[in-house]
Amino acid sequence: MRNKNIKFPALILIMLTSLLACTKQEYTIPDPVSQLTNDCIKRTIGPSIVSLPLEFAYAMALPKINGKLVSAEVEASIAGASGTFLEHRSFYTNSSGVDVPVTIGTPSTTVDKLTKVTFNVDTNASTLRYNYVIPEEARGKSVSFTFTATSSDGKTATYKMGPYAISKMAIKKNLAVSNGVNAFISIEDMAVYNATAAATNAGKVDLVYLYRATPTTFTHALVSPGADAAYLPGVTLPSGVNRSTKLRKVFNLQDRNLSNLQYGIYVDDIDFTQLDMVDMPNYALGLRAEAGVWVETTDKKYRAYIFVNSINAAGTAVISIMRYTL
Amino acid sequence: MTKYLKITLSILMISVIIVSCKKDSPVDEDGLLITFRQECFVSNFELLGSDFVTVRAATAVIDTLAQTINVTVNPGTDLKNVYPQFTLATDCKLDPKVIGKTDLSNLASPKIYTVVSGNRKIRKPYTLNIKF
Repeated sequence: MRNKNIKFPALILIMLTSLLACTKQEYTIPDPVSQLTNDCIKRTIGPSIVSLPLEFAYAMALPKINGKLVSAEVEASIAGASGTFLEHRSFYTNSSGVDVPVTIGTPSTTVDKLTKVTFNVDTNASTLRYNYVIPEEARGKSVSFTFTATSSDGKTATYKMGPYAISKMAIKKNLAVSNGVNAFISIEDMAVYNATAAATNAGKVDLVYLYRATPTTFTHALVSPGADAAYLPGVTLPSGVNRSTKLRKVFNLQDRNLSNLQYGIYVDDIDFTQLDMVDMPNYALGLRAEAGVWVETTDKKYRAYIFVNSINAAGTAVISIMRYTL
Repeated sequence: MTKYLKITLSILMISVIIVSCKKDSPVDEDGLLITFRQECFVSNFELLGSDFVTVRAATAVIDTLAQTINVTVNPGTDLKNVYPQFTLATDCKLDPKVIGKTDLSNLASPKIYTVVSGNRKIRKPYTLNIKF
């Protein structure tokens, strides 16, 4: 009798639970936007490096009955370098997947930290791209952005982005080196010198580029001036060029920025801080196109990653450098 | 009723004790299974540089009777930072283990790696001779 009394309510409870669990949740149409709204995405991925751009897409819209867009502006916490702008064209993607621009105003003006575009067409929706060129003063700091849209009914909408950490790395791309001519590389200056300039900057020359067809494993090489003479065959070093730089060969590390946006790999600050350069040699022989070399300067002031963009059997190569100050 | 319950529990406990005391398959100090295999040799050898690209100038010559591995490497190879790779007979292991970059720069004193058979009863030392 007691069991019966328990079983019946339990059965009812289970049935009720099942019924509730199966209740269909009706889709409700969201309330239409009744005022000026905005949204923003960061389009750039990878580390934020000084001199390279950070790109955002800023979208704003308001109901037609409320009026039209009047202006859009972005305020950066640190003023952008030359080349910073807010697009005066709104892009849409056509059926072929091509981004098509529609001009909505005059080109943006930038005053200190503020970049502004004033609309001169009657529109109530727009997506503008913001291109922020990272300035030198932002190195090692963080930067944030405030996007603001203003409509003709006097309303404003604001969207904050960031903060974004700016890398300590410096980048220099597509430096041409040639055997016996422009062969002296300075990590500190991120430059390539000929013998005359190398003699003038003797204390800054970290590497010598050379090419030897034989032995066949030598070919394109980066050798420290302080390396054994066997690795500098036929090379006469300018007076005072004698630094001994540690090198570590790498393969399959095609940084996207150094390889001119070809790959999806990024070298970042952490790679330099965690790099093990203990007992590394002061020469790297047999370099190939798209190979790389980690570098640590004699004074341990800099670490760098040198990427070989291309090589030429005539004894020339194009290299790109990413440098990290320790 | 209680009596039956006690008996059942006792049987269950005894079963658990018996099962837990059952000897597992034998493993060595590295947690590797000790098998009955007696084969004990190096079947292939590779030597990689810091960029994980081979530094061999030719195929390594493995002499399983003399127990030597002779490798010629490219001129300028930095032997302080290389990664030796051994392919061994089934179930064998290597002593010392290769756990990362290895310094093989002392050519006057070639490094010796011992291959241990699957049954862990046979040990064969291989001398790694490197020359430019």
